[in-house]
Amino acid sequence: MSDFEPLLVLEDLCIRTPDRTLVDGVSFTAHRGRITAVVGHSGSGKSLSARAAMGVLDVDPGLVRGSLRYPGASGGRDWFEGVHNLGMKAQMTLLKQSRHLRGGYVTYSPQSASSALNPGRTIGKQLQMAIQRRDTQPADLGVAIKVVLDEVGLPSRAAYALPRELSGGMAQRAAVALAIAPNPQVLIADEPETGLDPVLRRVITELMVEVAREHNVALVLITHNMDTVERIADDIVRVGE
Amino acid sequence: MAEAPIVRVDALCKRYIIHGTWPWSPKKDVDAVINVSFDVMPGEVVALVGQSGSGKTTVARCVLGLETITSGRIQLMGERWDQLSEHERRKKRARYQYIPQDALSALDPQQTALEHVIESLTVLGGLAKDEAERVGRDMLANLGLGERLHALPREMSGGEQRRVTLARVFALQPALVVADEPTSGLDPDRQDAVLEDLIENLPEGAGCILVTHDMAQARQWCNRALVMLEGQVIEELRFPDGQPSHPYARMLFDPWGEHDLAQSTEV
Repeated sequence: MSDFEPLLVLEDLCIRTPDRTLVDGVSFTAHRGRITAVVGHSGSGKSLSARAAMGVLDVDPGLVRGSLRYPGASGGRDWFEGVHNLGMKAQMTLLKQSRHLRGGYVTYSPQSASSALNPGRTIGKQLQMAIQRRDTQPADLGVAIKVVLDEVGLPSRAAYALPRELSGGMAQRAAVALAIAPNPQVLIADEPETGLDPVLRRVITELMVEVAREHNVALVLITHNMDTVERIADDIVRVGE
Repeated sequence: MAEAPIVRVDALCKRYIIHGTWPWSPKKDVDAVINVSFDVMPGEVVALVGQSGSGKTTVARCVLGLETITSGRIQLMGERWDQLSEHERRKKRARYQYIPQDALSALDPQQTALEHVIESLTVLGGLAKDEAERVGRDMLANLGLGERLHALPREMSGGEQRRVTLARVFALQPALVVADEPTSGLDPDRQDAVLEDLIENLPEGAGCILVTHDMAQARQWCNRALVMLEGQVIEELRFPDGQPSHPYARMLFDPWGEHDLAQSTEV
């Protein structure tokens, strides 16, 4: 596996509702070991583009143009082929067909930790389920959970905690742990700093960059915080300009 | 004679009891706010800044009586607000208004922008519907929503939704506005526009408490900032010149500088 090989290629994405264009001509390529920042103002379609990059399209008629390839998983297959202008039914078929890739090849870390974590399951149980999506299963699940917790700076006892028993910072770390646990090739983080204080924002951003580099994954960071982008991004994609 | 403060908070403490996972699990006391005191003078904008979970929102909600306090005193325009019953407070709530963090969930999905403002003015402000509609139209036009009077929340951008929450607050001409991260989730340009609308439309002589995570915003728009860490106010800064001296406050104002995190988070 070579450095900087393309792992996700999204080209000329165009998404519409019946009365307006939500995303028009967004293209980006996420490379192994690189951090791609997707920036743009509120409502410019950053999050929609990120979801589309995972094969999730949930507006009608939705996809009008564009192609999506995962060279590291399905070679040259264009996942959007046969979906253009066909509305929700075709998009739901795409969702089902690409399901095995989400949570495995590509993982998603949403805006707030509370929406990433299942409130009714302990962090350990959630990590166990994420680790079981790996291609190669670890010999000892308990050890694998401990290793992931350790990587994001959480103590082993966090495995027994429910999300509401964690502080805001710990919950954010747990969300990062869940995103990296399946050993993804591509990690899409949607504004992971939203609602955090400046100090925690730096801590979580640095943690995300560190684990992305450590695992040699392609990190796609959706953000409108230019301060962060200038410090960490290798490639910058501007949406809605 | 010196001017009387709009808000006087004296030795405020708030303790939450956290219940365990199961009914028989032990309960835990959490001191969310510890001995916080401050005043807000007429025409003053005071920022509450600090660590996530440091008690900023709890202080803001306690000031308005949206949380019961554990101990201390809260006076609004010289009156003991914490000793009033909810029935007594309700008659006076129009004077003390709250702008929440999440504008979309604060708006009724079935009401238009104008209907939101009319409802505030008739229910809290006691105006007749015709008069409320006239004031509402003026207020929305003032905030640049003159063309969006009949838009539903889902048809508005994030910035427009926030402007509706501002319009329905300012239409009541409050003496105190408590804004809890009103620009959270907006991009920087729109954050500035919303804050400008918030500060410039404050009624004359009104006080404002602004809860924010953005130190540049605090410095630009506020007269003072109270820096909170683990439930306590660790430092008060006067703007535009005040510089932080506590290690955590320094880190907050310059997060990408070189800091010792362990030392910085000691109260």
